[in-house]
Amino acid sequence: MPVEAIASSAIGTSTMEITISKFELLRELAATQGVVERKTTIPILSNYLFEAGGDRLSLTATDLDLSLRTSCNAKVKREGACTIPARKLHDYVKLLPDADITIKLLENHWVSIRCGRSNTKMVGMARSNFPSLPVFPTANVVKIPAQVLRGMIARTSFAIANEESRYTLNGALMVLKPESITMVATDGHRLAHVERSNEKFEGVSGELKTLVPKKAMDELRSLVDSTDVETIEFAKDDSTLFFRIGQRLLTSRQLTGQFPNFEAVLPKDNTRIISLHGEDLGAAIARVAQFADERSRAVRLKLEKGELKLSASSTETGESEDSIEVDYNGEPLTVGFNAQYIIDFLKAAGAGDVRLELKDSQSAGQLRPAESEDYKYRYIVMPMRI
Amino acid sequence: MSTLPRTVFHVDMDAFFVSVEELFDPSLKGKAVVVGGQRHERGVVSAASYEARQFGVHSAMPLRTAAKLCPQAIFVDGHPDRYRACSEKAHKVLTSFSPQVEMVSIDEAYLDMTGTERLHGPPLLAAHKLHNRMKAETDLNCSIGIGASRLIAKVCSGKAKPNGVLYVIAGREARFLAPLDVREIPGVGKVTEQKLHSLGIRKVGDLAKFDDADLEHQFGKWGVALAGKARGEDAGAWFEGEIGADEAAKSISHEHTYDQDTANVAQLESTLMRLCEMVGRRLRENQLHARTFQLKLRYKDFTTITRAHSLDAPTQLDNEIFQQIHRLFHLNWRKGSEVRLLGVQASSFGESFAQLDFLEDHARGKWEHALSAVDRLRDKFGETSITLATGMKGGFRERTHENPAALPGKSKPSPS
Repeated sequence: MPVEAIASSAIGTSTMEITISKFELLRELAATQGVVERKTTIPILSNYLFEAGGDRLSLTATDLDLSLRTSCNAKVKREGACTIPARKLHDYVKLLPDADITIKLLENHWVSIRCGRSNTKMVGMARSNFPSLPVFPTANVVKIPAQVLRGMIARTSFAIANEESRYTLNGALMVLKPESITMVATDGHRLAHVERSNEKFEGVSGELKTLVPKKAMDELRSLVDSTDVETIEFAKDDSTLFFRIGQRLLTSRQLTGQFPNFEAVLPKDNTRIISLHGEDLGAAIARVAQFADERSRAVRLKLEKGELKLSASSTETGESEDSIEVDYNGEPLTVGFNAQYIIDFLKAAGAGDVRLELKDSQSAGQLRPAESEDYKYRYIVMPMRI
Repeated sequence: MSTLPRTVFHVDMDAFFVSVEELFDPSLKGKAVVVGGQRHERGVVSAASYEARQFGVHSAMPLRTAAKLCPQAIFVDGHPDRYRACSEKAHKVLTSFSPQVEMVSIDEAYLDMTGTERLHGPPLLAAHKLHNRMKAETDLNCSIGIGASRLIAKVCSGKAKPNGVLYVIAGREARFLAPLDVREIPGVGKVTEQKLHSLGIRKVGDLAKFDDADLEHQFGKWGVALAGKARGEDAGAWFEGEIGADEAAKSISHEHTYDQDTANVAQLESTLMRLCEMVGRRLRENQLHARTFQLKLRYKDFTTITRAHSLDAPTQLDNEIFQQIHRLFHLNWRKGSEVRLLGVQASSFGESFAQLDFLEDHARGKWEHALSAVDRLRDKFGETSITLATGMKGGFRERTHENPAALPGKSKPSPS
């Protein structure tokens, strides 16, 4: 499939000459570096595809799972396309003075880069080697507020599994309904669930479920962070997800498979509930975790009348205990958790009080912000057998 | 290590497997017996009687070679259960003599007898008592070596065989060792031996005359250990530890050599399943959870690969072990290539700080229950009474070896 918009067959591939401001080029190069494959066995994937047409230059990078296409203003003297080694180009352009850069395709796919008194020729590859990319669908495009999507990603992406064996957990489930958006991620040990209602998603009827790969989530987050675009356009076809953020288009291969039935694991009768300052809990856990078994990171939480005791020990480093005053009158309970899992949540939840809701030492515990915010956020974490 | 002279016993059961077989079939006594399988089978000799050894048969030799060397030998299948039971009896006897007992394999152990004179008398008397007690309790003969180091004790027990006791008193080690071939030092294998020979070192006495520094120059750290060994000291690696100090197993493994090389995927998978079951069973028996699982794969041409994977959380469940091994196998097996041997090893034993998992724990709990029932059935009706379906066609006799090659001094056929 041909790339969209300007790369039509009318553009000759044997010539290209453009002039572009260093500032604009560098901005787009920086934004796309994350998608360039670092250690690939397919050399073309280390290259950008540059396509010049009209008064714009479009840049594309892909690692076959993910592709990112962006564009910027350019004075196009001769339309055309070329490929340029991405990392080297980025490193070189960074060092150029703030002036206009002229990029010109030479013979044998070499590319000349001129800026002021600097003159470089880079070894490119044939444009025809660059993989063809999917085209943004024309129908069923959903508009999602950029900051909402960003907030959802920040609250879930850390819980995504990084395991080959459970392939469908390598992404988050995004559920769009006409008036709400939900995102769920789990690695089997913990599950992050965040929901926003009172939204309006035109073009969504019923339920639109999508598995978004972790790599795409991370890239989306940094793309949103680097622009002031307010709305993201989301669409998908049979195999690909599309996110348009202003002039940048991120595509991602879809994860296929069934996301686990997460509703079954949401705890219902966790009746031992305490409320504490997130900062206090985080600091205490970070302290005792220094002495936790390095691999398991197990910390012990002992809930007693008026007090939550945290402790950890390992044969190599010693043992450590901390305690936090809490309002609790129920039966005592000891439960083990991976310290990192708790810390991950506290970081994502931000400042403020959190509620810790437990049942027993074998059942999932639940953490959530004590005050309801715009995001309805809950985090379920399975204990460790200690 | 303590600086006081120690009294170390090395107790080695004489022709252990054969002797155990003789308990069950006295007609084998005094005959050339080969334990490990039938004469036409593939696989190797687990043990041979002294009579068979006279014909050059030794453990780890292919059964068919043994049949050629000693056609009149009686070939007997191994019975690991019997050996384990007898080994446990022997272990009991040993622990009644010293609290510091280290079983280094199924049929030999080191005892630290330092400071037991008031209880058991001087070393030779204690050894005599131990020897008699062993015979009375297990009906088996053993040989005992006594010295101030494990190394001396070990060499002594070899020299005392069969059914003897040998004591080298402290201070006389070098004189005792000097006339021995360097190969008789535990830890010296073919390679070191050749290298020593090329330096003109044939006897331990020659070795002792060499400068420590020269040996270090030639062999590195190992050279320093060699110099110590020539003086009868426990030097180098495992020999430096205290007896019984670290008894915990480091790994558990099972392997199987096919009678006929095979590239049949179903058969290979079935064997792997069976091996995983055996490893899982041993893990549960010892209440261990392992994190690292290793696949060993030997092709027809004897090229051997090992590939391992470490899990985030340790396990002792057959199905979880198999999942890893199965994956490693398919990632690494050259499709269609005939396989001679498969092995499964579990290591990195850890506390089961098991992270519970809400997606798999339900299934996991079921497996735990099922496997514990399976274990009870096996305790009652034998190891092969029940097996997972995948492993059914992979059934084979378990083979045990008296002399695991990995242990010091075990890299060569026993001379006695």
